[in-house]
Amino acid sequence: MVVLNFIVVGVMLAILQTTLCMPTPTWLLAPDLYYVLVGYLAFHLDLPRSLIVLFPLVCVLDVLSGTILGMYALICFGGHLLLRLLSAKLPVKQYLYQVPLVGLSYLAVSWAVYLLLELLEPGQQVSWYWWKMLVRTVLVTALSYPLFLLFDWLQKQSHRSFLTWNRLRLRNDNRRRQA
Amino acid sequence: MRKKPTRKRSDHYRLFRIVILAGFLLTLAFIFLVSTLGSQKFGSLHKLVLEAVGPLQKVATRTSSYVETFKSEYIDILQDSLRLREENKRLIQQLQENENLLNKSREAMATNASLRKLLEFKNTLDQQQTVAATIVGKDPSTQFRSVIIDRGSNSNVQKGNPVVNNDGVVGQVFTVSPNYAKVLLAIAPSSAIDVLLQKSRVRGILKGDGTLTYRLEYILKTAEIEEGEHVVTAGYGGVFPTGLQVGVVSKIIKKPRGMFHEIEVTPSVDYQKLEHLLILQQPKLSEIKQMEHP
Repeated sequence: MVVLNFIVVGVMLAILQTTLCMPTPTWLLAPDLYYVLVGYLAFHLDLPRSLIVLFPLVCVLDVLSGTILGMYALICFGGHLLLRLLSAKLPVKQYLYQVPLVGLSYLAVSWAVYLLLELLEPGQQVSWYWWKMLVRTVLVTALSYPLFLLFDWLQKQSHRSFLTWNRLRLRNDNRRRQA
Repeated sequence: MRKKPTRKRSDHYRLFRIVILAGFLLTLAFIFLVSTLGSQKFGSLHKLVLEAVGPLQKVATRTSSYVETFKSEYIDILQDSLRLREENKRLIQQLQENENLLNKSREAMATNASLRKLLEFKNTLDQQQTVAATIVGKDPSTQFRSVIIDRGSNSNVQKGNPVVNNDGVVGQVFTVSPNYAKVLLAIAPSSAIDVLLQKSRVRGILKGDGTLTYRLEYILKTAEIEEGEHVVTAGYGGVFPTGLQVGVVSKIIKKPRGMFHEIEVTPSVDYQKLEHLLILQQPKLSEIKQMEHP
């Protein structure tokens, strides 16, 4: 249930980002909402389930954005693994420490992917501008905290099942007599 | 048995009193009638009656007038205010509905104007088959410039089809699914269009750099070009038809080194307001053969 919910949320974030957050094709202030989910999954969900959530998200992003397929796979999986490694070393598991890491890893991974793509397919991307990427990083960092809270709530809701199985469980023993 | 005569006597006495009283009253009434009708004089009795009844009338009239005033001043106002409140509510609701309608009308008018321009432009493309499309999504990345449109292979949209609007060239279809397609905008760095400078007839390659300007490349320094010169599609290669508006030369940077000019071109298309597009369909090979051998 958690996986399914996060898949839906991921797809919704990608759609939101490519529609409402992009009034014009060159709009700068579009926050990379998907990366916040990548960060949250790295900190709060185990690796197999995180990867199951990331596959459809990566696929949707590659389809809706960019001209080089696999770029978002590199960003998402790279960012996820980096944050997972960092979270293992992190002594305190609090949002205060996790949120800046999400922003920093976003910047680092984006730059690494840019350099790699420039090496493999030169001239296919817009030139790297630090100030633009810093604006995007600030947006990602600023939105990380509220989105983390939202994802927390979603995760709690996901753990609640529709039916309380304890009530439906058949008891073939007489507990009173045992007592 | 002994009480019976007493009751009988009392009944007779009572009857006698009634008859006497009735007689007296009738006599008085007769006298009053005769005296009034006879003399036609507003006598003391009349005056007395009037004096007795007048104040009552006065009180009744004043009370009535007071009630009337109270009613007109307060109750009617209250009723009016209630009625006005209802009326106000109704008018506010009506106003909101009208404003919504007006907004919808404005939107419809704007869409209509945009589509009309597109249609006029379409009519200028003689035999060219076109498909109208609307942008449904935009690329959020900082590295690429593309948009998603709501037409795909089901509408005969193919990879490589030129995409234009009434202002000029917008880009090229990059990928296609049955009902949607991705359009690589001409401002994307990976876009390259064969163009011609309209006045000097010099040919070059128009490339994007991710911003709202194009770069015109491979224009030899020997070529005489001016700022403000119009740039149109060259039509080589058969992808874009010849003469489609692309932009205007806005800056010529002459460097001492190198063989080519560095030229900036301002797009004729306003990329900030992209909404409705036309996809120019290329004739299929079978259709070309059919045209050659009818």
